[in-house]
Amino acid sequence: MQKAYRKSRSWLLALVTIFGLVLAACQPAAPSPAAQSPSGGNAPSATEAKEPVVLKFLKYADPVEAIAFAQIEEEFRALDGGKWSHVSIAYDAVDFENLFPKIETSVAAGVELDLIQADGPDMKHYAWNQVLIPLDEYFTADEKAAFAPQSIEEGSYKGVFYGPPFMQSCSLMWYNQEMTDAAGVQPPQDLADSWTMDQALDAWQKTTVDNDGDGSPDVWGVRWGQGTWAGDYEQGILRRSAGEKGSPTYEGMGADGLTFQGYFDTPEAIDSMQFYQDMHQTWKVTPVEPIPNIFQSKKAAFVVYPDNIIGDINNQYPDGGFTLGVTGIPYFKTQLCHTGSWHYGISANTKHFDEALAFVKFASGKEGSRIYYEALRQLPARLDLLNELPEYDSYPQSLIKQGFEQFGIPRIQTPGYTEYQQVFAEIAQNVAAGADVAQQMTDGAKQIEQLVAKYKGWNE
Amino acid sequence: MMAATVPTRTNSPSWWTYIQRRKTRNTIFAAFFVLPAVINFLIFRYIPIVWAARASTWQYSLLGGYRDWIGADHYLRALEDPILLKSLQVTFAYVIVKLPLEVALALALAIFTNRAIRGMGTIRTIIFTPVVMSMVVVSVVWALILNADSGLLNALLKTFGLPKQVFLSNPNLSLPSVITATIWKDVGFSTILIVAGLKGIPGIFYEAAVIDGATRWQLFRHVTLPLLRRTLLFVIVTQTIFSFQVFIPVYSMTQGGPLDSTKVIVYYIYQLGFRFQDMGYAAAVSMILLVILLLISVTQMRFLRSDVEY
Repeated sequence: MQKAYRKSRSWLLALVTIFGLVLAACQPAAPSPAAQSPSGGNAPSATEAKEPVVLKFLKYADPVEAIAFAQIEEEFRALDGGKWSHVSIAYDAVDFENLFPKIETSVAAGVELDLIQADGPDMKHYAWNQVLIPLDEYFTADEKAAFAPQSIEEGSYKGVFYGPPFMQSCSLMWYNQEMTDAAGVQPPQDLADSWTMDQALDAWQKTTVDNDGDGSPDVWGVRWGQGTWAGDYEQGILRRSAGEKGSPTYEGMGADGLTFQGYFDTPEAIDSMQFYQDMHQTWKVTPVEPIPNIFQSKKAAFVVYPDNIIGDINNQYPDGGFTLGVTGIPYFKTQLCHTGSWHYGISANTKHFDEALAFVKFASGKEGSRIYYEALRQLPARLDLLNELPEYDSYPQSLIKQGFEQFGIPRIQTPGYTEYQQVFAEIAQNVAAGADVAQQMTDGAKQIEQLVAKYKGWNE
Repeated sequence: MMAATVPTRTNSPSWWTYIQRRKTRNTIFAAFFVLPAVINFLIFRYIPIVWAARASTWQYSLLGGYRDWIGADHYLRALEDPILLKSLQVTFAYVIVKLPLEVALALALAIFTNRAIRGMGTIRTIIFTPVVMSMVVVSVVWALILNADSGLLNALLKTFGLPKQVFLSNPNLSLPSVITATIWKDVGFSTILIVAGLKGIPGIFYEAAVIDGATRWQLFRHVTLPLLRRTLLFVIVTQTIFSFQVFIPVYSMTQGGPLDSTKVIVYYIYQLGFRFQDMGYAAAVSMILLVILLLISVTQMRFLRSDVEY
């Protein structure tokens, strides 16, 4: 009996030991030397012994961008004789759809973050929620003037600058020249001659090809937007272009950033979305269900897309085989493109502000922006760099630069952009599927107003 | 005299104290075994429920934190929320269609695979394989199969001279498409549970029924089904709960559209919390879902309770 008792006791002891080990394993890891490093003070000099610092950067996953950032980081570490050589960057890259929720959950969970890649229209939301540290005092007026004014607007909240951009964009309409030639269509090469929507529709109809006559085209006339999603960045252009410059339709939202009825659901806006529905349902020049890489895989003759399409085509057809052309973006009354920049934001949770700021200033500076541009070939947000690049003086990139400068406007500026974008994306999807357009737009305007009412007083 | 000869329990070890010690030891042992599960439930189930109940009475967002205490306002808002009503309708439609189809199919597959035929193990493995696949992968694969332009199903339709269908962008076809994908994924799990239930039915009942002249249908109706009742109850209750919580296929295949035709309640909760920055209201809707699920589960257990012992 005693033997059995001893045996049981040893089992009990073993269980307690295992449980203790499990608990010990669940304890937070001891802070690394980097995490313990006090960095809130002055920046270390090159000669001081520096403890390693790891900046945690939550960003959008893009393999080409990853290459650019690796090089930017390398240059940054070598800067000023290795002043920042103790700094390294740990990237947490997530896909575009999940970036915003990931930032939300990371902040809510109190995750130690140093840098955030923020989409331009979301900057005000982050600033309103005090997720980012304002950087106004760290950028002189001259430094800020080096960025495109659209980027400054997107990166600011109540006149305070929260984060510099690292690229810009402006969607125009790209085309497959073999297809347009085959259809006898000549897209204008001058933005002043850009097609109206009706003229563009004629071209889309001519380039839509249904070889077997089954009612499902083999080549579609157009895809209005990149990827397979719908949203404000592309469909918002179509809607806002239905208004004269300065009109409620063109503005898209009241000056308070909270009013949408009378702006989002005007008769012109409804007509424009009716046109969008007819593109899918009546004229059938674009598929109801988006096709991945429809333009790149030669299943559409035209596509509304920013200039990173050049890199996409070059990567997919390294030996040629795709003659890419670009023309102005079609419009109803006012030609416009939505600008869009990614911004660097420094998290309010950072314990390495000096290092984060130094990195952001370098990466958004001319040298860092050049590295980024050379990897991605996307419109720079720095005007000094943009004006130095000879490729933007000749077709096709010259049209991007002209479009950006002449009619590129930021998307609506409100801390409730995410709510607005989500509702509008659903409306665009519903409209394409055949929903009652007027009802979608009027109900949508009301829903957005209800959702953004919580930001009342944000710009006072 | 008598009293002096009767041993007392306070004296040195006796059979009673031995049992007590043993009981205590067993209890401690049992507690240790149960402890991880209890901790898991406390940390990942009950505390979040309490937390969500608290959040539902606040204006709360992940980025902005807790702002104002608003009591039952979110619950009152839910009563007048047409999208919540629509999402509940969609969720009930999903469950009402999916559950009977899946259980019936699983029952048929279980009866089929319960035979002692060569190669049946392989067939069971094939049926069970989708269960171990990630729901994200399954959703992506089904989205490709159902794709309007290059999907396998549309290629088949074309072969038979039928017109192409936009399965995921047609409000009439989108929910059935999601249901099909999830049944394909889940049916193996239900099948395996029912197979286990079938194997637990003693053969003597079938032998007795056969001697009494029962037909195959009568065997199924009067022997198999009554004796499977407990297993079926478990399958139905768990699959009801899982079905009410469907999210990934909707998120991956349709994003709740078109026209809210696939906006199930958990997707709506996600949208409220993460897209509309309204985590307080999302928590309130979650609490409503919790109550609905509890009511349904209790009702199912009451109606499907089995008195048959074997």
